[in-house]
Amino acid sequence: MNLLDIRNLSIELIGDNQNILAVDKVSLSMKEGEVRGLVGESGSGKSLLAQAIVGVLNDKWHVHADRFHWRGIDLLRLSIEERKALLSRDIAMIFQEPMACLDPTTTIGDQLAEAIDASSLTGFFWQKQKQRHSAAIKLLHKVGIKSHSACLNSYPHQLTEALCQRVMIAIALARRPILLIADEPTAAMENTNQGQIFRLLSSLNQLKSMSILLISHDLENITHWTHTITVMYSGQFVEAGTTEQIFRKSLHPYTRALVNSSPSANFHLPAKSRLMTLPGSIPILQHLPIGCRLGPRCPRAQQACVKAPSVTNFHGHKVSCHFPLTPIKIQPKAVKGVC
Amino acid sequence: MLIFTLRRLNLFIFTMLALTLLSFSLSFLFPGDSIINISGAINATPSQLIEIQKAYQTDDNIFWQYIAYLKHIIQGELGISMASQSEISTEILNLLPATIELSLVALFIAMFFGIPLGFIAAIKHNKPADNIILSVSMVGYSIPVFWLGLLAILIFSINLGWLPSAGQISLLFEIKLITGIQFIDILLSDSPYKWQAFSDATLHIILPACVIAVAPATIFIRLARTSMIEVLGTNYIRAASAKGLTFQQIIFRHAIRNSLIKIIRHVGLQFANLVTIAMVTEVIFSWPGIGRWLIESIYQRDYTAIQSGLLVLSCFIFIVHILTDFIYAALNPLARGSKYGS
Repeated sequence: MNLLDIRNLSIELIGDNQNILAVDKVSLSMKEGEVRGLVGESGSGKSLLAQAIVGVLNDKWHVHADRFHWRGIDLLRLSIEERKALLSRDIAMIFQEPMACLDPTTTIGDQLAEAIDASSLTGFFWQKQKQRHSAAIKLLHKVGIKSHSACLNSYPHQLTEALCQRVMIAIALARRPILLIADEPTAAMENTNQGQIFRLLSSLNQLKSMSILLISHDLENITHWTHTITVMYSGQFVEAGTTEQIFRKSLHPYTRALVNSSPSANFHLPAKSRLMTLPGSIPILQHLPIGCRLGPRCPRAQQACVKAPSVTNFHGHKVSCHFPLTPIKIQPKAVKGVC
Repeated sequence: MLIFTLRRLNLFIFTMLALTLLSFSLSFLFPGDSIINISGAINATPSQLIEIQKAYQTDDNIFWQYIAYLKHIIQGELGISMASQSEISTEILNLLPATIELSLVALFIAMFFGIPLGFIAAIKHNKPADNIILSVSMVGYSIPVFWLGLLAILIFSINLGWLPSAGQISLLFEIKLITGIQFIDILLSDSPYKWQAFSDATLHIILPACVIAVAPATIFIRLARTSMIEVLGTNYIRAASAKGLTFQQIIFRHAIRNSLIKIIRHVGLQFANLVTIAMVTEVIFSWPGIGRWLIESIYQRDYTAIQSGLLVLSCFIFIVHILTDFIYAALNPLARGSKYGS
């Protein structure tokens, strides 16, 4: 059974003159214990998608989905409060800038303590206070912070970015989530810190079998840690499959371009020659192309691309393109829309 | 924190120096003899005048004159009033507490109503409640205070007869002056009618304090609203809601404290405005405060009183400003510690 099953999720920005479809019918599914990467350029709607899943978008955004199942429960049938309660119990999220996501006027200890689920505590309120404190210390130990008392008593601005991100992970772990959504957890961090955070996440995945949705713009960097990858471009679904499939046998021209643009995939490239890149840049929200949004930049674009392609499934390797790159040997039964 | 305190003290000392410089220069700028302006001794005999000139060192250059003036101020000698020929320092000591009392009560009323209303408006952003609060605050800000005061007397004192229209307390009660702040004096006194006096003083302060509070309260509404809207859009509020906190928890634990930080500094700034309004209101409600006394001395061309009154009043405003800075530092951990590169 899928942990999370989202079909055709669209996010619209409500504007004064016109509504902008920022995320256009993206499907995403996750299995238990899986680490899935969500990859795309900046501005491709990855963070929006993640925030829509957790339900923290404000009124300016309008979210619509054909199917939104969480562990077999149809969330679309629940009221907003029930959905929020269910999701905040099971899904936790960590954000891009950890420092900005911690309240600057409250100590780390208080912020950590308030995230701890009240139902896990017993006794009177003074006993609960003590339990909260010891639970907070345990959480800090879990994310590898040894000097817990110094950390608990300090304010966010007194810690480094990497420490703040660890605290954010500790806060996320406080409710023992089943799914952790990590929205570029290592943006603006040095390499050593990046490695630490990723190792922490993957150990959580292996030891606690916690599923992780890892959002990043850097395909190459996260391939070591993910089992499966979903690629997005400008708010549209591009390709999804196992990390191996995406990296070795990518079907979509955009994924191929992403892989080719990383230096490590181009060992054979002669010295001082240019890396393969797509011309142009990602379109801004006000001027989105019709049909396949990659159209204007795609080397293989043809007339058919003015219509949005439907998702084709090749043995769990899903691609949304009229003209996928490698022709598949076995005749696939092309299932349109749903799989 | 020690460095923070020292910095504020430093600022206080230098601002006071600048203020004394201003009041010292006023004695030359006002018409008449500067030595009479500074001492207020208009009826002095020639021999007394020579004494005074010696005390203020008028034979020396301007710098030593200023130093002599400073010495007098530090010793609490502000001269005598030109109009009443009584010591200004004792008059101020008698009158200033009443103004402190009135303006602080007004400030608390303004904060007590203004800030929560602003928060409510921000939480109900772009809804009818928000629009109603905003338009009411606009109306409140636009009403001139002298007219509002007269209107309040007309409605609540004359037509309805609920509240007294003038004075600090009914003349029936005899309260000895100890601290000058009426409520504390009443509580300290051993009169058998203590509690009647207390309730009478409360009735007397309601009307003027509310009239003074209207304009600052409307400013606080707007400040609280904008700062709350700003805070509610920040990442840590979003993260807190992703953490699973309810909206109420987010508001009370995170949003209010962070938006108060943004408001509290403006409270200090608005206090100067409030004292100005209080001066006008004191005249309307015949409140025995320093504001009324100062306005009367302006009418009577009592230059010595104007000089010293300005000095004392601005000193008071500045002390309140520093106090709000301390509250700001207590709320905001970022302001407390030592900063690098600032």
